[in-house]
Amino acid sequence: MAVRQLDARGLKCPMPIVKAKKEIDAMAPGDQLEITATDPGSVTDFQGWVKTNKRAVLKEQRQEQDETGRDLYIHLLERTDG
Amino acid sequence: MAEHGSGAGSVPAIDVGDLLQAADRGHPLLLLDVRNEDEVRAWKLEARRPIETVYVPYFDFIEDEPGSVAKVPPGRDVVVLCAQGGSSEMVAGMLAEAGVPARNVRGGMVAYGEYLQPAAVPLGPGESSRFAIWQVNRRGKGCLSYVVASNGEAVIVDAMKNEEWFEAFAAQRGLRIIRVLDTHIHADHVSGGPALSQRLGVPYSVSAGEGFDLRQPVAPLDDGQVLRVGGERGVTLEVRVMRTPGHTPGSTSYLVGGRYLLTGDTVFVGSVGRPDLGGHVVEWGRMLFATLTERLAPLGDEVLVLPAHYAGVQEIDENGIVAGRLGNLRRTVPELQFRTADEFVASVRAAVKDPPASYAEIIKVNLGLSSAPLDRITEWELGKNECAASARRAALG
Repeated sequence: MAVRQLDARGLKCPMPIVKAKKEIDAMAPGDQLEITATDPGSVTDFQGWVKTNKRAVLKEQRQEQDETGRDLYIHLLERTDG
Repeated sequence: MAEHGSGAGSVPAIDVGDLLQAADRGHPLLLLDVRNEDEVRAWKLEARRPIETVYVPYFDFIEDEPGSVAKVPPGRDVVVLCAQGGSSEMVAGMLAEAGVPARNVRGGMVAYGEYLQPAAVPLGPGESSRFAIWQVNRRGKGCLSYVVASNGEAVIVDAMKNEEWFEAFAAQRGLRIIRVLDTHIHADHVSGGPALSQRLGVPYSVSAGEGFDLRQPVAPLDDGQVLRVGGERGVTLEVRVMRTPGHTPGSTSYLVGGRYLLTGDTVFVGSVGRPDLGGHVVEWGRMLFATLTERLAPLGDEVLVLPAHYAGVQEIDENGIVAGRLGNLRRTVPELQFRTADEFVASVRAAVKDPPASYAEIIKVNLGLSSAPLDRITEWELGKNECAASARRAALG
């Protein structure tokens, strides 16, 4: 099982989802994608998007801060058989 | 899909102000709201007349473009809305490619939350030649500021955080701002009062009775004190300071020209200000009852109440103003019907609800105890105000 990283820092919607979709579509079932975003709206957007698409599930969401104190929203997706 | 939305300016757009103006007039727009379900539930764009709205999240367009485009009825004047204007631009681009003309709402709900709409309060004969009152409506939040002007001078009451806007508004009308007033320390939005007063080098006043330790300099005002707008001689407008505690212990109202009462959060058009934010609902509730029944009693029914908030677009009248004659409010506002303090307090206690989101952070900024970048303040302020005491009104928020 591979874990890919996607840097979506500084990107506003729709770009975090657009980029995550491209990655997910190219991944094998069981592989994971960890997205690091700075847009707080990405939290509910990823929750909503996984309800619509059948190719990924949301394994984890957590909030961290970078060294400058900027909030980071980290989303862990897993590619399904869908 | 990433191509969409990247060409900024290629998709036709509409500003929030133009959108609201069209929708208020009843222009038959079709609003395509592409935010996710949680965001839609928390906060909607509202106009004086209902806007026909279709909800299709933008990620549905990413997943199934033709299927999502098909959900938009043909032959309509479509405007696309999202949180910040990026996703809606992408969707408007997809619609255009599919032959469905659509405009992007520039800046999305963030722009809606910041948009300020000024409207002149209609004055009586003999008044409009002497002074003017503009009500500045922050439509997305239901917050109201005031510009009170006479003879080339103005005072600003309950300025919102976009202080440059107020400065420009006054400058365009040849008005010199002489003082900046707040009715109280706001808990639901960041005040522009201190920043505006510092920019202009004019006094900032809010009641010392708030019981807070304010860091910014405050010019104290006494109950009954009269401020003059328009110079000391000739045509001047009197603004009388009235202590009206209850929503907060230092809440102050300003009576303009003897007939226009800027009430802050003391009395609204459909309710009264909630006295529970300080955690002393019984004590502050009794203060508010005394304010409503004793302090406001000498004012005549013809006095026009101009509040700092409203609960819903239905409170905006045909002149685009939120206002009510004191006589009407005395008959219709549920909280003004109680005859005893006990009944009143029981009612406001029953309506206690959660404080506004981020209110502790907002109060700190308004006291000058901390500062925050604008994007953080925008995040704190998202959504409608929750300042009214009645549960019925709260449900509308």
